[in-house]
Amino acid sequence: MTLPETEGPAVGARVRRKDGDLVLTGRGAYLDDVELPGMLHAAILRSTEAHARIVGIDTSRALARPGVRLVMTAADVADRIGPIPHFFDSANVGGQTTDFRVLATDKVVYEGQPVAAIVAETLHDAEAALEDVVVEYEPLPAILDADEALREDAPRVFEDWSDNVVVRLPFAEGDAAAVLAEAEHVIDGEIRIQRYNTAPMETRGYVASWGADGRLTFYASTQNPHPLRSHIAKMLSIPEHRVRVIATRLGGGFGHKFPGFPEEGLLCVLSQAAGAPVKWLETRAESMLVGAREYVHRFAVAHDGEGRILAIRDRIVANVGTLGSIGGWGMAFVAAMAFPGPYRVKHYDIESLPVVTNKPPWNGARGYGKESAALAIERMVDLIAQRLGLDPATVRSRNFIPPDEFPYWTAAKRLDSGNYEGALSQLLEMAGYEERREEQAKARGEGRLIGVGVGFELTPEGGDFPGSLVRGFDTSTVRMDPTGKVTVLTGVTSPGTGNETGIAQCVADELGLPMDDVTVLQGDTDVSPYGYGNFSSRGMAVGGGSAILAAREVRERLAAAAAVLLEADAADLVFARARVHVAGDPERGMSIAEVADTVFNRSIAIPAIDQPQLEATRTYAPENILHVPDDQGRISPYPTFPYSAHLAVVEIDRDTGVVKILAYAGVHDCGTIVNPTFVEGQFLGSIAMGIGGALWEELPYTPEGRLGVRTFKQYLMPRAPDLPDIAVGSQVTPSPFTLLGTKGAGESGTSGAVASIANAVNDALLPLGVAVDDMPLSAPKLLRAIREGVSA
Amino acid sequence: MIRTRLTHHAPTEIADACALLAEHGEDAAVVGGGTMLVPQMVRGERTVHHAVDLRRLGLHRIEVRDGEVAVGAMATYSDVAASAELAEHAALLRIAAAGITGGAQIRNQGTIGGSACYANPASDVPAVLVALRARMQVHGPDGTREVAAEAFFVDAFASALGRGELRAAVVIPAQTGRAGYEKIKLSESSWPIATAAAVVGDGAEPAVTLGGVARTPLRLDVGALVDGDGTLGDADALEALVRERLTEPWEDELAPGSYRRDIAGAVARRSLIKAKEERA
Repeated sequence: MTLPETEGPAVGARVRRKDGDLVLTGRGAYLDDVELPGMLHAAILRSTEAHARIVGIDTSRALARPGVRLVMTAADVADRIGPIPHFFDSANVGGQTTDFRVLATDKVVYEGQPVAAIVAETLHDAEAALEDVVVEYEPLPAILDADEALREDAPRVFEDWSDNVVVRLPFAEGDAAAVLAEAEHVIDGEIRIQRYNTAPMETRGYVASWGADGRLTFYASTQNPHPLRSHIAKMLSIPEHRVRVIATRLGGGFGHKFPGFPEEGLLCVLSQAAGAPVKWLETRAESMLVGAREYVHRFAVAHDGEGRILAIRDRIVANVGTLGSIGGWGMAFVAAMAFPGPYRVKHYDIESLPVVTNKPPWNGARGYGKESAALAIERMVDLIAQRLGLDPATVRSRNFIPPDEFPYWTAAKRLDSGNYEGALSQLLEMAGYEERREEQAKARGEGRLIGVGVGFELTPEGGDFPGSLVRGFDTSTVRMDPTGKVTVLTGVTSPGTGNETGIAQCVADELGLPMDDVTVLQGDTDVSPYGYGNFSSRGMAVGGGSAILAAREVRERLAAAAAVLLEADAADLVFARARVHVAGDPERGMSIAEVADTVFNRSIAIPAIDQPQLEATRTYAPENILHVPDDQGRISPYPTFPYSAHLAVVEIDRDTGVVKILAYAGVHDCGTIVNPTFVEGQFLGSIAMGIGGALWEELPYTPEGRLGVRTFKQYLMPRAPDLPDIAVGSQVTPSPFTLLGTKGAGESGTSGAVASIANAVNDALLPLGVAVDDMPLSAPKLLRAIREGVSA
Repeated sequence: MIRTRLTHHAPTEIADACALLAEHGEDAAVVGGGTMLVPQMVRGERTVHHAVDLRRLGLHRIEVRDGEVAVGAMATYSDVAASAELAEHAALLRIAAAGITGGAQIRNQGTIGGSACYANPASDVPAVLVALRARMQVHGPDGTREVAAEAFFVDAFASALGRGELRAAVVIPAQTGRAGYEKIKLSESSWPIATAAAVVGDGAEPAVTLGGVARTPLRLDVGALVDGDGTLGDADALEALVRERLTEPWEDELAPGSYRRDIAGAVARRSLIKAKEERA
């Protein structure tokens, strides 16, 4: 496919995705398309118990089955592999921690924990043999509810812990207790958020293959190939350069594919023991074991008679399941850190408690705690509006941090830039807010339950956590070949969102080349510089930023050579349309290909062209990552702060409680936009994810600690007919702290959608005098509130 | 992945298919469209060693016989939705088929017959067939018999089919009266939570058949509640009738029984309104 030639710069243009044709026509290869000679298949026997001692495991019958090559238990792998390194070790922030192994040793602490693994010639044989592994469990009391886990007499999930709290995470400014004690208006409330995850279209999967030279190649559906390589080398106690991780094309990431999973190291051991490549692909049911987002907020908010927020106290309890070596529990940090959102609140006291239970561990989930904070904050704003009889949009305007106060400090954020009022005004105008309210009043008169809900989200992005494998910088190499074409090797990866195309746009502009002349390679640790992959919407800021810096260095080298050939001053040279020419004299120039050819093939022979090299590697970090506490003890691990304003109009079916979304609009500001099509696509997908979480998606557990859903007929994701046409608007307030002024653009939408839907549904319930703050806002819950007049 | 070494049989004579089913009993499964069976086998929820595929038995047809419509076991939802015969004789089935979740892939693959035999309480087909007074044409080792739809659905996920029997077609009597169909689901992906198929007017026995709310379809005689035109007089009486008859509501992961009981009356009422509107 030929990409459209852009007139003028590629950055900012709706350039088509480089590999879009492959994806659309089903020719893009994913992890499951990896087929190696002699490859075997693994199936994993998982604990059926939420908490139990393993009395014994009998693998003999499974081993005797046709096609089965290998059955391994914890005892079999003990000598081959060590503990799994933590994605975020809670010990780094003074918390309680524990070791995790690829297979359960003497105890299981959640349903679905890997207990044994089978390697067979076919996946059929491997899965069939699962039923012939006999595990004898001695059940132990399982604790599933976080509040119960907090009780002093609660059983401990980990025997050597003093309680079930991972760590206490306080974020405070001012004196919230004093303000709350004296304020005229105080609202108390509770919001419960269900456990749900991200359900990427492609589940996780891995293929491990040891070479004859003892070098390991590990294909992985992962968001972070280099950190995964570090983990694997450490677990296996082998030098890191003897491991190659190839991150295959991702069919979605959303945090589900952050490393730290037991299956990663396990596959390496299985392949080693079997003496053949081994593949494992997570089933849909297995993917639903991965949890996220189960919180309770118990809050008090003080406000004045005009709706200005004076103080917030929130006690957040996060049911993070068993801690796990995957990094999901860190969302409990962000859920508190994100306070007080876009609002100027001088007194707040937020504490988040990640609590362990016998549910499977969390992994990252788009929003990463910000959606939890946004829901709580935005419900508080609506409750204030309701209490005072004010318009909820007006209350937001009265509380926003004004544009001239940026950069704006909170306890753990230095907000880069913003015009929150501008985004909200644009939204209200675009969505026809006044008319929506008039229509609502009319419909209410007819007895219909129509709700209009506003939600505003602030989305800290690009986070940097030293001591973990989540860092805020990254590295790219720009390499020009003798024909003047460019290959970019970058440490950031793409979950399928198009950042490779965005990076190519940046590099093409810097070098004056068309898009087709730039190839971007990601995900292969033998190819790309050490980098941190994909998380926290960092791709353009640090992948694009480092590639731009490297491209500029290559351009300088080209300019030096061209200056000799054109007998001009390098500073006077212009790079455009694949040519370099003297400014003001387009005839006095030559093609970039000719310059490149000369550099490689005639260097040294031509005096003054003595560096036969057109390659540069640069690292870039946004300026706003601040780890050294300022004079008030404040830090800012996140550098960029995109935001968006949302409006949802819903109708609740009075007879059934079923919610229909009648209209939806969002205005997004992520600073400078490299490719509007990609940014809009991310925003729309993220809104859909938020809507799904607000209304339907849920991972329920039985009292015995077993997951109640296995398929998409039970875990309900939004489909196209569930969603209205979503109107999207854009505002651009560049970050002063990133190279191009970009902010993260991959997570925006989820938080605002959860909040606007929750506010809209509760706005619809308002005439009935009830509210539902127990998520998701399912039809049975809403009908109960409607029929019985009881809030939930 | 399917965990067993599976023998796939595709007989060309119904008698051979029945003989295979008789021979293998519980160890055999009938494959129609496979949209339920195959995913269940992949997930390891159903294990058999013999799959008896109906595709070569010539059971795809939808045809009119003596004023009745016979829908072959292999007729897909798309076949049903596109059928001119059904549009005329049994609009209800057509409406239900067009509203099946899963898009073209499911509608082109899944069959009415397969859904009937699977007998999931939370699905469209069983209650619609009961509402239409359909008869199941069953072939077995002892020949052919017909079973009324009401008798066919004996329990949740259980039909009246015996060992060696397969359901070759459903016969739908020409429909008198007007039909209305109402379905509530939680979202597009959801199984139906409650369905109601109303048939009223033009000499039909006025009835509403509820699906999704009980272990088997629940047919309610509403003759005392509607006038000759099919207009519902007292909605509260309908609600009371539904609550009286719906003593053991169906419950699954998507919704508790109490919720189904709470919405069933409204769903029944809406189906009657739709049936009345059909004429207009």
